[in-house]
Amino acid sequence: MRCWLTGLFALTLAALVVPIGAGAQGKGTITVALPSHAPTLDPHMHFERVGVLVNINMFDSLLHRSAKLEFEPSLAVSWKALSDTMWEFKLRKGVKFHDGSIMTAEDVKFSFDRVLEPGQEKKKSPQYGNVRAIKEVKIVDPDTIHLITDKPFPLLLERLVYFGIVPKKHIEKVGEDSFGSTATVGTGPWKLVEWKRDQHIRLEAFDQHWRGKPAFKYVVFRAIPEVATAVAELKTGGVDIIRNVNADLMPDLKSHPQTRISTTPILRVHYISLDMRSAPFDKKAARQAANYAIDKQAMIQKMMAGLGKQVATVVQPAAFGFDPSVAPYSYDAKKAKELLAQAGYPNGVDITLHSAAVDWRPHFEALGQMLTEVGLRTTVKMWDPGPAWNKFFQAEGKATNGQYGSWGNYSVFDADAVLHPLYHTEPGGWIGKHYARVEGLDKLIDEARSSVDQAKRKRIYAEIQRMIREEAPSVFLWTQNDTLGISKKVAYEARPDEWLWLFAAKPAN
Amino acid sequence: MSAFLIRRLLRFVVVCIGVSLVTFSILHASGDPVALIMPEAPEADRAKLRDALGLSDPLPTQFVRFVANAARGDFGQSFFHREPAFGLVVERMPTTLGLTCLAVTLALAIAIPVGIYSAVFRNTLGDHAATAIVFLGQSMPVFWIGIMLMLLFAVQWRLLPVSGWGTWSSMVLPAVTLGAFTTPLFMRIIRSSMLEVINLDYVRTARAKGLSEWLVICRHALRNAALPIVTVTGLQFGLLLGGAVLTETVFAVPGVGRLIVGAIRQLDFPIVQAGVFLLAIIIVSVNFLVDVLYVYLNPTVRLH
Amino acid sequence: MAVMLPRATVAYEVGASIAGGSRAWRRFALNPAALVGSAILLVMVSVALAAPWVAPHDPAKQSLLRRFTPPMWQTGGNAAYPLGTDQVGRDVLSRIIHGARISLLVGVSAVLVSLVVGVSAGLASGFMGGKVDTAIGTVVDVSLSFPQILLALAFVAALGPSLVTIIVVLGLTGWERYARVVRAEVLALREKEFVEAARAIGVGRLRIIVRHVLPNTVSSIVVMSTLQVAQAILAEAALSFLGVGSGNAYPTWGQMISLGRDFVTVAWWLATLPGLAILVTVLAINLVGDRLRDALDPRTI
Repeated sequence: MRCWLTGLFALTLAALVVPIGAGAQGKGTITVALPSHAPTLDPHMHFERVGVLVNINMFDSLLHRSAKLEFEPSLAVSWKALSDTMWEFKLRKGVKFHDGSIMTAEDVKFSFDRVLEPGQEKKKSPQYGNVRAIKEVKIVDPDTIHLITDKPFPLLLERLVYFGIVPKKHIEKVGEDSFGSTATVGTGPWKLVEWKRDQHIRLEAFDQHWRGKPAFKYVVFRAIPEVATAVAELKTGGVDIIRNVNADLMPDLKSHPQTRISTTPILRVHYISLDMRSAPFDKKAARQAANYAIDKQAMIQKMMAGLGKQVATVVQPAAFGFDPSVAPYSYDAKKAKELLAQAGYPNGVDITLHSAAVDWRPHFEALGQMLTEVGLRTTVKMWDPGPAWNKFFQAEGKATNGQYGSWGNYSVFDADAVLHPLYHTEPGGWIGKHYARVEGLDKLIDEARSSVDQAKRKRIYAEIQRMIREEAPSVFLWTQNDTLGISKKVAYEARPDEWLWLFAAKPAN
Repeated sequence: MSAFLIRRLLRFVVVCIGVSLVTFSILHASGDPVALIMPEAPEADRAKLRDALGLSDPLPTQFVRFVANAARGDFGQSFFHREPAFGLVVERMPTTLGLTCLAVTLALAIAIPVGIYSAVFRNTLGDHAATAIVFLGQSMPVFWIGIMLMLLFAVQWRLLPVSGWGTWSSMVLPAVTLGAFTTPLFMRIIRSSMLEVINLDYVRTARAKGLSEWLVICRHALRNAALPIVTVTGLQFGLLLGGAVLTETVFAVPGVGRLIVGAIRQLDFPIVQAGVFLLAIIIVSVNFLVDVLYVYLNPTVRLH
Repeated sequence: MAVMLPRATVAYEVGASIAGGSRAWRRFALNPAALVGSAILLVMVSVALAAPWVAPHDPAKQSLLRRFTPPMWQTGGNAAYPLGTDQVGRDVLSRIIHGARISLLVGVSAVLVSLVVGVSAGLASGFMGGKVDTAIGTVVDVSLSFPQILLALAFVAALGPSLVTIIVVLGLTGWERYARVVRAEVLALREKEFVEAARAIGVGRLRIIVRHVLPNTVSSIVVMSTLQVAQAILAEAALSFLGVGSGNAYPTWGQMISLGRDFVTVAWWLATLPGLAILVTVLAINLVGDRLRDALDPRTI
């Protein structure tokens, strides 16, 4: 008995005294903290932001976007529109996959086909919706392909920026499942070394990448669900980059000797979608009242450290089609109360708002408070993103008055990318079909998205913005910044498309 | 003895079916995972995915299929990971079990000396202080302890890694956190067992013979305490596994608890079912073992 | 032989337990730990009951100007907000006071649910025996096979966050021990002659239950309930931490920790103080429960 007792003590002591093995931290490694890992490394078989961040470092697309958001050649060296519905892309020669094989038009066609699955009833890929407009991919010669869309599709280039090209022969050889987990091969700057689920994804620099070698030899994506843990890791050097740093944590990271902040405005826009199908928001006056009730500037200054911009509608300033002449709703609590009375609620009304934006809970609560102050007595309910969607978007009969959320546009800098999901009702944008019921809006949205005449589209979007400003199907709030916490040992800056393009990261001197 | 075993085995099977039923029905009450996998797809596509996953069959059919598959260890493919759910769970089980065992070990390592001290110096300030501290551990939320410990030992004093799992040092904080609330129970058992022994006649005799007092007392006391400790650990196992979930979240430990929590949020039925099922089986098995051990170590019960 | 009159026996039994009870009470009341624990609980409960009058501010009142005010003993603190304010400017002290209500409500209600379910199950099991007993026993086994947190998590996540859901779920995951104790008592009682005699002369089952089973189990049940309230409070905190709390603006302590944990490096008071509140309450309950057990159970020293 005594023996194993002593042994126990020794063990515990040893555990405490053993020097800290800091894991995979060596020279030439850059470590990023993500809240979780995507279920697969296959770029076509998931739609999670955390997965996209890893994929863009392992796979290239036809086009790339610079930090200034201009289109750059990537796997395609040039492109032109041959007609309203057909585009030609000339491919880069001599691009190697991580397994040494050369990329050709076959791989490009294969990549599109496995998402589009022409002829298949059940589409496996969650990315399908993004590229649905592409009807066919034709190989003209080993270095040229044609993309044919069913209708004019103005967002084509945007959607191609994130569409990873995968190796046909390799996938056919190892099968889809191992491609997504252990045998992931792309053309990107880093290749897969190992993936320990829920722990880390370890990548190694690909020597034969067509851009050259990246500055860091290894990239590690660690899965750290707790914010406090991630911040602690950043401070102690366990990770080099953390994302979505809350405005309130910024001063701490700014003043800490080992860390700094990098922030930039992004597309993500915040709004409260109002349910126009039921009272009180079936009345325009009530909806406008809600808009006047929010002191957007105060929220941006006090709760976002000034890192945000008020927007007149949901169309962001950086997106194509933005009309700066549409004026945002000011903050006017008195007017809000008047409008509410006009709508038939002189003594106020009880409403419920839901949200799944768990990171923005304090803001959501503040919004609820402001609405309550003008008579829209709000009960705020927060849901986990999982069941939340179901309760909301499946059971249409359940009474909800509105949803607070944010939309990132999938980094597509075009008004359609936010207008369609939020307001289109038939066949329906993701959110629009449950809430918005603005007359004539559907038709305008459809018109704009099926034309490639940019001037015409701009006109239509201007009209749409005026219309929704007046009709107020949502409470229009603000766009936010993307804020990264970065170790002082790394030189990297946040990008306006929320990407983590680690090829641009270098050790700081 | 064999009749006893057979009865327990039957109970085991029935319990497992009951477990599956509960898991199955809860999750099906919650909603539609297809909308989560393909939120942008039109209803037609979603209906097809639903068919492919077998979600549009009547519930009893789904349940029967579930049980039949579960018996073979087949819980289907995870909706999100596109890998066999059971495999994912099994992969992480050693981590969680390891954490739990380490926590129990640490708890014992603290409880034994403190319990002995408490008993020997009974009712002194030291005894009360020790009791108080150990009580504290039982009264704090597990995750709170974890966060506080992390801030103190990892961030402030830089003695241990903040999170992760792999090196000995990264296991310390999670194990201490998890073990915090079992320690008082163990301590109390050891203390009362020591007190019983101290007053036994033959111990007095042994003392008279000049044997090292400590050796005698400790050996007998610990042997006495072994049975209750084993029983308590078995009963506490469910609580420990539950606590492991919280600890794993705070310290980013890649165990089953974290996996299941994530899966519940995403309505990833196969993983939740596989995970909860496996955990329940482990708990039931542990209880079974405890029963058997109890009968073995305590002969008076055998004649029941 | 002498058939003892049922009444006399009853009087003897009940009398003995009362006499034993007062001895136990004395033992309990003289113990310092028990006194401290009881005092704390008394304060806690009164504060919780009188929350609207005791709390200095409205717990839901936000103020963007007063966000993240530290506790008054730190620089930047404000005596009007003794324990500081949170991320939307709500007073932490008021939230803790109101949170006491909810935490205690959840704890006590969950235990009540457990009691009702458990005692009924135990009675049914003991009296009806046979298939009912086996069935209930299996349900108990099944229930005990789940880690409470995971089961609660699954339920609450499935049904949607709400206070009622949490209470019911926590209640349904803790009733087994009451069932076992009551069942054991019923079985023990069935052996006794006077019960058979009582049945023979037509004394109803209900009276038997009330007069015999319950008094004998009261002490165990009281001890178990006390400790289970503590466990329920901790469980609610855990559920909130995992993100499936009551989902509302009700300031439960667990929820306060959950909301404050991201800010632990810049506003330590948000997560630490509610944690301390939980700690003190649970500690007090444990002290009281522990001493109660010692006092009522003659076997321990």
